Amino acid sequence: MVKLIHAVARHSLLAFVILSLVATSALAIDFKPYGRGAFAQIAKAHAGRPLMIHFWSVTCPPCIAELPQWSKMSAERRDVDIVFVNVDSDEDRARAEARAEKAGLGKATHYGFADDFVEKLYFEADTTWRGELPFTTLLAPGGGITAVTGAIDDPLVTKWLESRK
Amino acid sequence: MSVSRFFIASAAAVGLTGVACAEPAAPAPADSKPAPAAGGHAAPACADAKPDCAMTVHPAFDAKGKLWVAFSVGKTVYVASSTDAGTSFSPPVAIATASDGVVDAHGDARPKIVPLADGALLASYTTRPDKQMIGTIFTARSTDGGKTFSAPQPMLTEGGQRFETFVVTPKGRIYGGWLDKTNALKAKADGKEFEGSGVAFGWSDDKGQTFSGKKILMDHACECCRMASALDRDGQPVFLWRQVFEGNIRDHYAAKLSADGVTLDGGRVSDDNWAINSCPHHGPGLAVDSHGGWHAVWFTKGKKRQGLFYARSEDGGKTFSAPEKFGDDAKAPGHPIALAAKGGLYRVWKEFDGTTTTIPMQISHDGGRSWSAPRVIAQTEDASDHPELVANKGAAYLSWVTHKEGYRLLPLPRDEKRATAQ
Repeated sequence: MVKLIHAVARHSLLAFVILSLVATSALAIDFKPYGRGAFAQIAKAHAGRPLMIHFWSVTCPPCIAELPQWSKMSAERRDVDIVFVNVDSDEDRARAEARAEKAGLGKATHYGFADDFVEKLYFEADTTWRGELPFTTLLAPGGGITAVTGAIDDPLVTKWLESRK
Repeated sequence: MSVSRFFIASAAAVGLTGVACAEPAAPAPADSKPAPAAGGHAAPACADAKPDCAMTVHPAFDAKGKLWVAFSVGKTVYVASSTDAGTSFSPPVAIATASDGVVDAHGDARPKIVPLADGALLASYTTRPDKQMIGTIFTARSTDGGKTFSAPQPMLTEGGQRFETFVVTPKGRIYGGWLDKTNALKAKADGKEFEGSGVAFGWSDDKGQTFSGKKILMDHACECCRMASALDRDGQPVFLWRQVFEGNIRDHYAAKLSADGVTLDGGRVSDDNWAINSCPHHGPGLAVDSHGGWHAVWFTKGKKRQGLFYARSEDGGKTFSAPEKFGDDAKAPGHPIALAAKGGLYRVWKEFDGTTTTIPMQISHDGGRSWSAPRVIAQTEDASDHPELVANKGAAYLSWVTHKEGYRLLPLPRDEKRATAQ
């Protein structure tokens, strides 16, 4: 009997987990809306500090694979502000949240694309960006933006981080 | 009952509930899309079940010259038709509603409509049910002129597939090509490294009721870019996709599928040397002309070249001409597509100057050796789909849906000089 109750409790928990996964309206991570002008607003809000704005998607396996590395770097480099921007639409946000949580980025600063005019959002971050991911912009405190297509271990990222030390 | 078995059963129950809801007897009501979530997220331009409100629209003309479109609004896939060149559409017919995931209808991904010679229709779409990149391709058929569609059937129930594309031969065989994650998942389970997806093919001789073959013929396609397809003059389909070559180089590969559907014959389109561990989300375009010339258009940010490029093969993909650049680099050119029609060879793409998105067009009358000066044929100042080109009785059309203007079908001139002079 005890065994049965235990089983039922576990099943209820699982059912709750499943329902939580299905529900998309209540996210634990607050993905702030990223729309037209957001890039400049974020840059302004972090003016004077080195800032990395990292764009990623759940439909990008290299992005998912390196999220834990981003989590590690966030912990190691408190001197650098890091903002994560999920470029998926609202309907994919729940799985974006699951991915970010799993990678240990639950407490990081997150934005989510909230505008279908993606060309405009790409252009504001970098005029040559067509939406390839992962994509990261490195903003130096004194101005100067470096755009990087590709992984976190790209030499451009490593070099930029080194120069901030 | 073990915990894991319970989990599977529960997940299935959730799915089943969804399926029960997913068979609307009639087109979904106009306000079927749920209100946008709180938090300042921008509302879509409109949420009615019509092409004007879709993020992506796939067009095709049937043998009688009626325009068909496949699109999704919210989580429902629809098909509609137009007899006045896209000015008005029939009430949309709902094919299915994704119950436990999303309909793959952003960027390169979109539901498809394939009119067959006898008036039957094949519709397809992909859902991504639970994990990223793992999708299921569904097909549904109509034999009553698009009034009703059969219950959607999964192309495959294991692995994970995306980016389906279809070619109908003059004899009526339907070839399908898609990207297939099955081998990638196997490698992952074995703890092995595996780049990208497989490229898989199948065919149907019963108008899409069943597909045979369904095998991965080549591995390591870039998994986030659409595959392009076209019919060669010998009645066999040609496919073009971004391939992950040794060293994570994401360049293009084109190949013809043999009549028995089991071998690919082709080659690398160009050596751009785009060595990058990333997802371009940016697939190529392909046209095959009446002489059997293959015409490829693509985007790259390779070490050797960056931007939009064109190359052709006149020997069935064994060799390609030197890549020729097109598009204005100052305007982030992207998403090129090509079409061979009676009037000539067309290529269109997207450009953006920070405010306005434009669709420039070029025509070639000499099999791609020379092209007319680029001319902007459409533009918008808000969100828009990638451009599509579609042929009807030898004439070429641009098919494009934009947030502000809705859906448009634009006839393209047969001769650019004459068009400019008018």
